[in-house]
Amino acid sequence: MAADASMVNAVKIAGAMVGAGLALGGGAVGASIGDGLAGSQTIAGVARNPEAQGRLTTIMFLTVGLCEAAYFINLVFAALFVFSLGK
Amino acid sequence: MSLSHLFAAPLTGIDITPGLHLQWKVGGLTINGEIVWATVIAGIVVVTLGLMMAKRATAGVPSKPQLLWELAVGAVQKQVDDTIGPRGAKVVPLALTLFVFIFTCNLFEVLSIGSPIDWLPAPTSDVNLPLAMALYVIVLVHVAAIRNRGVGGYLRHYYARPFPKKLFLVNLFMNGVEELVKPVTLTLRLFGNLFAGGLMLSLLASLVIWKLGAVPIGGILSVPFTVVWKLFDMAIGAIQAFIFALLTILYFDTAMAPDEEHAKEGDYIDA
Repeated sequence: MAADASMVNAVKIAGAMVGAGLALGGGAVGASIGDGLAGSQTIAGVARNPEAQGRLTTIMFLTVGLCEAAYFINLVFAALFVFSLGK
Repeated sequence: MSLSHLFAAPLTGIDITPGLHLQWKVGGLTINGEIVWATVIAGIVVVTLGLMMAKRATAGVPSKPQLLWELAVGAVQKQVDDTIGPRGAKVVPLALTLFVFIFTCNLFEVLSIGSPIDWLPAPTSDVNLPLAMALYVIVLVHVAAIRNRGVGGYLRHYYARPFPKKLFLVNLFMNGVEELVKPVTLTLRLFGNLFAGGLMLSLLASLVIWKLGAVPIGGILSVPFTVVWKLFDMAIGAIQAFIFALLTILYFDTAMAPDEEHAKEGDYIDA
């Protein structure tokens, strides 16, 4: 049973879109949880020891950068799926 | 024209093609032209700034560029001192150069407009430059590890840790994956951030096709969004440059760390 060419194409596009959606959604969830944890712990640290605010803020931005990086890697894969593999 | 169609309009009819480059074919290689000249320009900027500073540096009242350089050098120096200690003095120039160069490259994103081929893109938004830098760093890290522990100690590091030697296959697998993943994540982190920045610019530019009747609502929205995104992107560029330099320092730290566990284990075997 030969598969219809347009059907194959449709399945390909659908797969690419679903994959990109999963990557973006899952990545966003993970990155936001990580950002939230970093932020909340920084607030807790500053509340305990206000003098450490300068140092803690630097470390927090660093951690946030690392968390966001995971999401941006996912974004690259999503773009790859949608704009390259799904076409 | 239904309401849903009006709001879905920005999503239809967009043709974004990321990863399009001005390609030169040299032999069997494909060279992304605009990335090459953007890298060269960034290099020239960094080298010129460095040479200017070397000529004009003064112990008296510092000029503004000197203050900026001192800030960058001081930050990297402090980081190295805190993590590696005095052993890591050799890492400072490498980490500082990486930081300043990547930061300069990332700032190029401010000039791009999100067209399929930007004529002066951020060189780090192509995978080749981050990959080259990451491989360079990782090779130097392994060389430092071999120098620190000797060939035997370097190889033992793979199979004798973190589990006892009976499980050396598990150790080998875990450490091998760890070492292989390091350059990949180092590359993808930087590349992903900058590539996403360019992609976002393309998406914001394509907002322009969104019109409500005769009102170019997308065109009006796209301008402030682009400005805000570029400001945010500059912050991301600075943070990513710093993270690249910081991870370089941390990798050197694990490579240069004295082998306390292994020494103890050796004593145990001798006894």
